[in-house]
Amino acid sequence: MTTHCFRALLLLSMAPAAFAAAEKEPINPPPTLSDWQAMAKLPDLGGVWTPLISDQVAQERTNPPPWKPQIAKQVEHMYAEEKAGRPFPVIDHCFPTGMPSYMLITHNAFEILLTPGRVTLLGEGDGNRMRRIYTDGRPHPQDPDPSFHGHSIGHWEGQTLVVDTIAVLPQSYLAVNEAVGVPNNGDMHVTERFHLLDAHTLADDLEITANKLLSKTWKTTRKYIRQRAQKFDIVEGVCEQGSYNDAVDKDGNAIFAPIKFHNGVPVGSDAK
Amino acid sequence: MNQARTNQARTNQASVSRSRIRQGLAAIILAAAAAASWPVFAHHSFAVYDRTKTLTLKGTVKTFQWTNPHCVVWVLVQPEGGGEPQEWSIETTSPGVLTRGGWTRNSIKPGDRVSVEFNPLRDGSHGGGLNSVTLLDTGQKLSASFAASEKPS
Repeated sequence: MTTHCFRALLLLSMAPAAFAAAEKEPINPPPTLSDWQAMAKLPDLGGVWTPLISDQVAQERTNPPPWKPQIAKQVEHMYAEEKAGRPFPVIDHCFPTGMPSYMLITHNAFEILLTPGRVTLLGEGDGNRMRRIYTDGRPHPQDPDPSFHGHSIGHWEGQTLVVDTIAVLPQSYLAVNEAVGVPNNGDMHVTERFHLLDAHTLADDLEITANKLLSKTWKTTRKYIRQRAQKFDIVEGVCEQGSYNDAVDKDGNAIFAPIKFHNGVPVGSDAK
Repeated sequence: MNQARTNQARTNQASVSRSRIRQGLAAIILAAAAAASWPVFAHHSFAVYDRTKTLTLKGTVKTFQWTNPHCVVWVLVQPEGGGEPQEWSIETTSPGVLTRGGWTRNSIKPGDRVSVEFNPLRDGSHGGGLNSVTLLDTGQKLSASFAASEKPS
């Protein structure tokens, strides 16, 4: 009896500690009906969008980043190289384009998914171009692992989605086109305001603070066009697949056969 | 730049030939130089192609590569002076963009006789960036364009 009492007391004394530990471990709670109902009040950002490339080009000309002098020299060299037909390989590696270039220079469509506590951007063409923006009220982690797209948290201010991104890999480019870009080199902070200009046009107002590259915060906007036609549905994009042709091996199995590249462009359908 | 790096690596290798450790290091440098001179990834800027020039070639489709990030039409072209057909790689945009312009993966098939209009590589290599391809047996002309993406649908 005494032993039983002791065990019961021990269990009781341990319970609050175990309970507290469980409370500290955050979870993603199941969405409720009211969570889904709240989604209906959000602006209609969901679906496929294509970048307004003509405006990207105009923005590049009229609102360049405030490069620090030593970075401006690199940028000037890259423009000269691009003009000479030797484009700097900003996107040649088949890695994700990364932030903030994902939003600034892409030529490819992306899709926005709105779900309770999350906004997700799924890109096309470059593979793995995916941004997860947490809108469930969580803060950034204290010491997040750097990644191509960084860690993004967001909240709604009326009809505007406000996004805050940190922890982007230092190798990820701050690019103004596919041939001109500089690695952010760390210590970069990006805030964005996504909002509809009209029923067919999405704007992303970016404020990029990149202390290693820029003399001050760069404010710029990129626009995207709504595509409801199903021919715009996102298709799978695996960049590395473009390095191979379809082939059949000696056993009749379907395989990928490498193609031949020179200076980054295909020059032979068979690398052998 | 890559050639310069390779030459530098060779110099490095020659100057340290008596040290096994440093030989190993030179080998690593050589390997890195070789890797740098042989990019095998398919995504890049189209500034490599000379947009001030447009060439038109007639030939037969060897294969049509329908993959991201860029599709490629491989065309066999008979040289004017005779000899073996020469392979040209004419690169274009992604399957998604082409689909929105009316293409399918079967728009061009091996054996099709085509005329391709393209911006050539600057060094004379047999490659270019596609403007349009015309199927000679049907007269159908397919263009590579982002125009559809600039308008809402």
